Amino acid sequence: MRKVHNVLKSQKLIKITLEYDEISNTIHSIKITGDFFLYPEDSLDKLETNLIDTKLEKNSLIQKIRESLDDSQAFGFDSESLTKAILGCLIH
Amino acid sequence: MNFKFNKIRVLETGKNTASWNMALDEVLMKGTTEVPVLRLYGWEPPAVSIGYFQRLNEEVNVKKCANLGIDVVRRITGGGAVLHDSELTYSFITKRYPQNIIDSYKLICDAIIIAINKFGFNAKFSPLNDIVVNGKKVSGNAQTRKKNILLQHGTILLNTDIEKMFSVLKVPPEKMRDKLITDVRQRVFGLDRTFEEVVVALREGFREKFHAILIDDKLSNKEEIETEKVAKEKYSSDKWNFGR
Repeated sequence: MRKVHNVLKSQKLIKITLEYDEISNTIHSIKITGDFFLYPEDSLDKLETNLIDTKLEKNSLIQKIRESLDDSQAFGFDSESLTKAILGCLIH
Repeated sequence: MNFKFNKIRVLETGKNTASWNMALDEVLMKGTTEVPVLRLYGWEPPAVSIGYFQRLNEEVNVKKCANLGIDVVRRITGGGAVLHDSELTYSFITKRYPQNIIDSYKLICDAIIIAINKFGFNAKFSPLNDIVVNGKKVSGNAQTRKKNILLQHGTILLNTDIEKMFSVLKVPPEKMRDKLITDVRQRVFGLDRTFEEVVVALREGFREKFHAILIDDKLSNKEEIETEKVAKEKYSSDKWNFGR
């Protein structure tokens, strides 16, 4: 298990704290913080939960984020920028 | 956008602690009737509030705040960290509002813009949540919706003290600090008016925007008791403030 962190400046700042399984390349836990807006607010908890066990690759992440935020409105990030922020953790 | 309220309940609640200020917004939100509430207030001692999705330790030098006697609190609304010092804060709570989020921000910001322009400025709405004068931010706003009630609160800058702001907010390494301070100084704008002058202008702004009669009111005993309770149990607690 490896814990990594990344900050991405999208329209707002997205900060990711990620713990992932290096062998299966899947998310063990994730915390998304930042100065963005999301309505309703508890969608973020749902998203963080849904992302657990998701493969750390672009298409899987975008799909899971879109599904999780289907009934929500986000301002300051979108599924692409959030995916970029998550995958950016692997570069650092 | 035209939107009319017959009456608006106005509460001028003075300057209070961060936990009390945030608790009162929550209490008012839970108790809102058909009559919307406009609350005008300040912060004593000065405080840093962070957005709902932010992590206190990532954004704020909590130890330095404690040394300087600056309160810290996490809001129930999103957005960024704010130093509440030389500024006025308002809250507007309503059961009736546009469902579109940008429209609802704009609607309430229109009242603030009317107020600011009474001083001869040319303030404009800058989506999603800012008001600018000549491209510089003079007001930041944030809202939440719970059980079909909307709370929008925001600040109107009276003066800017960027150095003080950066002394308590966590910013990039030292070598970038000077550039950042210069950048931010060029991007924010204080009205250079007194708290009291802006209170008068805001009252007028909301009255005009919503064609409403303003009803000056005080907190009920129940509201005061609940606010003290919520301030103590929630907004003073590490569980909430360090909750993300």
